[in-house]
Amino acid sequence: MRDLPGKELAQELIAASRAAARATPMEDVITAADGGRLDNAATHRLIGRLWALERMFYYIYGGWGQGLEMNDFPPSVKYLFSKQIVDESTHEMLYMDLLLKKGFVVNQKTAFADPACAFTVNSSLAYYVFSLRNLATYPHTIRIAALNLGPKVLELAWTEALATSVDDADVKGAFASQLVENRSHVSMGRRIVEEFIAKPVDAELARWAIGIATRDYCRYLREVADITLGRPLTAPTPPRVRVLD
Amino acid sequence: MLKVDHERCTECRMCYIVCRELDINAVYIALEPLHRIEIDPEACTFPGCTACLMYCPAAGSIVETETGRSVVPPPAEAWRS
Repeated sequence: MRDLPGKELAQELIAASRAAARATPMEDVITAADGGRLDNAATHRLIGRLWALERMFYYIYGGWGQGLEMNDFPPSVKYLFSKQIVDESTHEMLYMDLLLKKGFVVNQKTAFADPACAFTVNSSLAYYVFSLRNLATYPHTIRIAALNLGPKVLELAWTEALATSVDDADVKGAFASQLVENRSHVSMGRRIVEEFIAKPVDAELARWAIGIATRDYCRYLREVADITLGRPLTAPTPPRVRVLD
Repeated sequence: MLKVDHERCTECRMCYIVCRELDINAVYIALEPLHRIEIDPEACTFPGCTACLMYCPAAGSIVETETGRSVVPPPAEAWRS
């Protein structure tokens, strides 16, 4: 089999993300779970924040889907994307099932107003969501690289760790059952980068996009950890360059 | 009582969405077998509610547990109950 043009780039991007995967703000939540300090209220806040992000993927992928044209990529690329949309929807449903089953919310309607589950514009969650949505104007291969070889690698690591650390069987099951899909998303990202990111300019663009997506994802994870553990919210790092006019 | 016939179900999840929207929450995503759609008989209010049967696009994919009879599309008596 011929060597795929983006093979080395994919390996480089995955290795960089894996190196950072166990140093995210979620480590504090994993430590709390290990120590049996993740009580019902904290679990409610954790699942609520994760659900709030998962349901925003309908909005993110909706924007990305609008950026696809006929014959711009082979059908396999679009099939993988549709599979990822369904998987993300599954995860949203799993979190909602958990919120209902544990009695954290009475029904879906009340979840939208629940402080742990609500979407607010002035949040790191919104910052991350808009950051991903912004990639709608970039080639599909670049945005898949940005998400699947960046945040998805981190997500796989903390989900795996939490699935091991939490005691509650329902919560453990919700995390553990997602692993197969999360692993698949990383593999899909790897395959797309290997096959379609061949030019140096695209490789640079992919590195930049992963950097942005990972930075904003870690900012969201910091918010998740702060809210879950009942800490005051960490102020975001000020931008290095201020735009003045 | 109702159950999903996994030989016919397309996993489109319309039943899940309508059941959640109506706040009955009987349809759920099973952890094992991995992420398959199932119906919780404790929560399902059939024949009081037949909404999932009307939304389901795959004939025969929801059946009566006792008889195995397909209720998609909903049989005539479902409309009268």
